[in-house]
Amino acid sequence: MKIVTLQQIQKNYLLGKTIINALKGINLEVEKGEFLALAGPSGSGKTTVLNVLGCIDKPTSGKVFIDGQEIGGLSSDALAQIRADKIGFVFQNFNLLPVLTALENVEYPLLNKSNAGGNKRDLAMSALESVGLGKFAQHRPLELSGGQQQRVAVARAIVGAPLMVIADEPTANLDHNTGLEILHLMKKINQEHKTTFIFSTHDQKIMDMADRVVRIWDGEIAP
Amino acid sequence: MITLKIAVRNIFRHRTRTIITLSTIVFGCVALIFAGGFFEDIFDQMRESYIQAHTGHIQIFHKGFSEKGVIEPYKYLIKNPDEVSDIVRTLKGVKFVTPRLTFSGLLSTGENTISFMGMGVDPAFEKAYPLKSNDLRQTTKSLTLGGVLVVSGKNLDPKDEFEVMLGKGLAASMGSRVGDGLVLLTNTTSGSVNALDVSVKGIFYTSSKAFDDIFIRLPIKTAQKLLYTDSVQSVVVMLDKTKHTAEVKRELENIFRAKKMDLEVKAWNEISDFYSKTVVLFNRLFLIIKIVIIVVVILSIFNTMNMAVLERVSEIGTIMAMGAKRKNVLKLFMYEGIALGVIGGAIGVVLGALVTYCISVIGIPMPPPPGATMSFLSTPKVVPSMLLFSFVLSVVTALISSLYPAYTASRLEIAEALRHK
Repeated sequence: MKIVTLQQIQKNYLLGKTIINALKGINLEVEKGEFLALAGPSGSGKTTVLNVLGCIDKPTSGKVFIDGQEIGGLSSDALAQIRADKIGFVFQNFNLLPVLTALENVEYPLLNKSNAGGNKRDLAMSALESVGLGKFAQHRPLELSGGQQQRVAVARAIVGAPLMVIADEPTANLDHNTGLEILHLMKKINQEHKTTFIFSTHDQKIMDMADRVVRIWDGEIAP
Repeated sequence: MITLKIAVRNIFRHRTRTIITLSTIVFGCVALIFAGGFFEDIFDQMRESYIQAHTGHIQIFHKGFSEKGVIEPYKYLIKNPDEVSDIVRTLKGVKFVTPRLTFSGLLSTGENTISFMGMGVDPAFEKAYPLKSNDLRQTTKSLTLGGVLVVSGKNLDPKDEFEVMLGKGLAASMGSRVGDGLVLLTNTTSGSVNALDVSVKGIFYTSSKAFDDIFIRLPIKTAQKLLYTDSVQSVVVMLDKTKHTAEVKRELENIFRAKKMDLEVKAWNEISDFYSKTVVLFNRLFLIIKIVIIVVVILSIFNTMNMAVLERVSEIGTIMAMGAKRKNVLKLFMYEGIALGVIGGAIGVVLGALVTYCISVIGIPMPPPPGATMSFLSTPKVVPSMLLFSFVLSVVTALISSLYPAYTASRLEIAEALRHK
């Protein structure tokens, strides 16, 4: 079952007076339960594709379907609701809110969700336990290591049982082994819960773990 | 709820900066509460001493006196002062009622002759307090309680007949001292000339130099004898509390109208606009102080909130990616601003009240106010309405100054915000 479709996505940026064609007509379909890697060098347009998939950036032209719904004409509030309900995010720099505890960070996306289904605090706690950090629930991000922070971020991404998790270079700021651990964790969740993962990377070992690797080169999908 | 939690925790993220911002708000509150209390005290002192020394709370005149009394003072005398006084005494809130008779004439020492104004008063009621020149607090208190201070000699006594008190300035220009003999020369109410030998019993001071330079005080019986009359010019009503003035005035007017008595009733602020004008002037000054404080507080909070937004661009991107709507981001920063205002305002109100109270216990020696010649002690008041005003102002200015930074934050593009390092 297709959960995301990108049709002829173009994205142009204005840099000073020059127009940069970041994406030049991307077509992509993602199946439910896929563990999909977007590979390519820096500046190739991976992050832009992820941003479009994650409804945090609008394409200049082309169509995006999330769960069958075309999101082209939606307001920023409607897009926010789609993100809250259907998409989990993992960032390169972990991006935890420093003033919240690990548990509160995991709980946060549930507060924006239209139907979280169950006690939010309990859901957050079980997500945190599933990444092995139940003991660190009351710790603030700065009291955790990079690997632990990224685990909290993964818990935060999956807590609402999203349609897909988008991870932009999730291992780039971790040492190799920790990076692999995070990948294994994501893979495990993917297998156990059939959660779709779409992530960008330029690490060959990580690509090897993916079900499918889509190579992006200069704003286009490499054949 | 979570937004409020994040907002409050963010405030304490940069302790030093928060403390500086809070200090600005606290300082603003303290300044407002102190200045408000200081002005309030000056207004109170000025009003009370003026009422006590000069106008009374209410004066009752013969109808027409306030319009034409200056030209023909003796045409508008009250012929039945006792009857009027008896009516007034029955009202609630009246402390005492006393007649006055004012006239002008010439005052002679034998060598010098000078024109003067005389005020016939009933010494039984119109008290004067002895001046203790080394005790500023006592002096200030006496002025607000009695209005008239005895600089040297003694106050008039109900038994006195040929004794007078000279204003401080008048005594100085005559070169007269306590015990000196003087001749008063004046026209009687019927127009003939009459003179009286009197002696100086005391020298008085009021907070009006203009008054002290030309006035003498003498027993009203003596004044009536000099003017060949049993009438009085006005019946002065002193109340327990100044705030009851309007109410008592209204009652008196109703009674006099019902009894068809040809009298007019004037409140202290109608007799002299000195107080009202000073209040307007000082309030204008206070407004400028308020504006300066508000601007400083707004700029300070604005700066803090702007820094907070700039530092947290990536966090704003994150929470928006997590599905927070723009209005949640707006709320987050507004809450932060308001929380600063509430905390700063609360500390400011407590500290402001405390500082003002402590200063009032010590008192601030003040130079003589305009139109007076004697220093006084300012004892700023803790004014409840000023406490409330300062608190509300802190919160409102905090809200206003966080509007723009909060708006900027809520308009960020998520993708760009997330790229921000």
